[in-house]
Amino acid sequence: MKEVMAIVRFNMMNVTKRALADAGFYSLTTLKVTGRGKGNVDFFLLQGAETGHEEAVAQLGSAPKLIPKRLITLVVQNDQVKNAVKVIIEVNQTGQKGDGKIFILPITDAVRVHTGETGEKAIDNVLKGVPVK
Amino acid sequence: MKMVRAIVRPEKVNEVMAGLMYAGFPAVTKIDVFGRGKQRGLKVGDVTYDELPKVMLLTVIEDKDNDFVIETILKAARTGSAGNFGDGKIFVSPVEESYTVSTGKAML
Repeated sequence: MKEVMAIVRFNMMNVTKRALADAGFYSLTTLKVTGRGKGNVDFFLLQGAETGHEEAVAQLGSAPKLIPKRLITLVVQNDQVKNAVKVIIEVNQTGQKGDGKIFILPITDAVRVHTGETGEKAIDNVLKGVPVK
Repeated sequence: MKMVRAIVRPEKVNEVMAGLMYAGFPAVTKIDVFGRGKQRGLKVGDVTYDELPKVMLLTVIEDKDNDFVIETILKAARTGSAGNFGDGKIFVSPVEESYTVSTGKAML
């Protein structure tokens, strides 16, 4: 089992959800988050901080420059990771900075609270997945 | 790669974010969370605050930067020189792959 953690644009939420559902990934968890990436660095500010200006140091990492994003988490079977990543990238890619990131993390165990099933049985199998290239 | 999840005091967030930016790790995601720790929340007289507001900072880094990033977060998030209960926790977990959506490539 793997956890696919995707940070995407706020307005891409609905299309991403629809695309994932079409590909068979029905279960997901989402969070509203804020953040910054490599592209969101104010180099003028950073330069000021490096030369020791106190105003610049105080402004480093202050809240207003963080951009709101949606964090989508889905736990999938090992062989479906590539598929999920492909679906998310296809829908969210505009080619601009700030499209987001996808992280793949290992999951050692999962339990379905409803039935008490553990392991791979607790994770939904993709019913009608798109073929992986 | 490693995912570092640091749960810190809300008032310390700006300091931690500034510290990370200054150390060369600008990419951070911030999530507002509530939780309790070993001290079971906070007791003020008869009132118990079970779940206290904290902020989770999430960042993914290369393996070699692990110790440096943790040291940076610790330095910024600790209150006083010895630290206090409620300063937070840092969790590190492995990340197998990471993709940038705009390029579609597997890179951090």
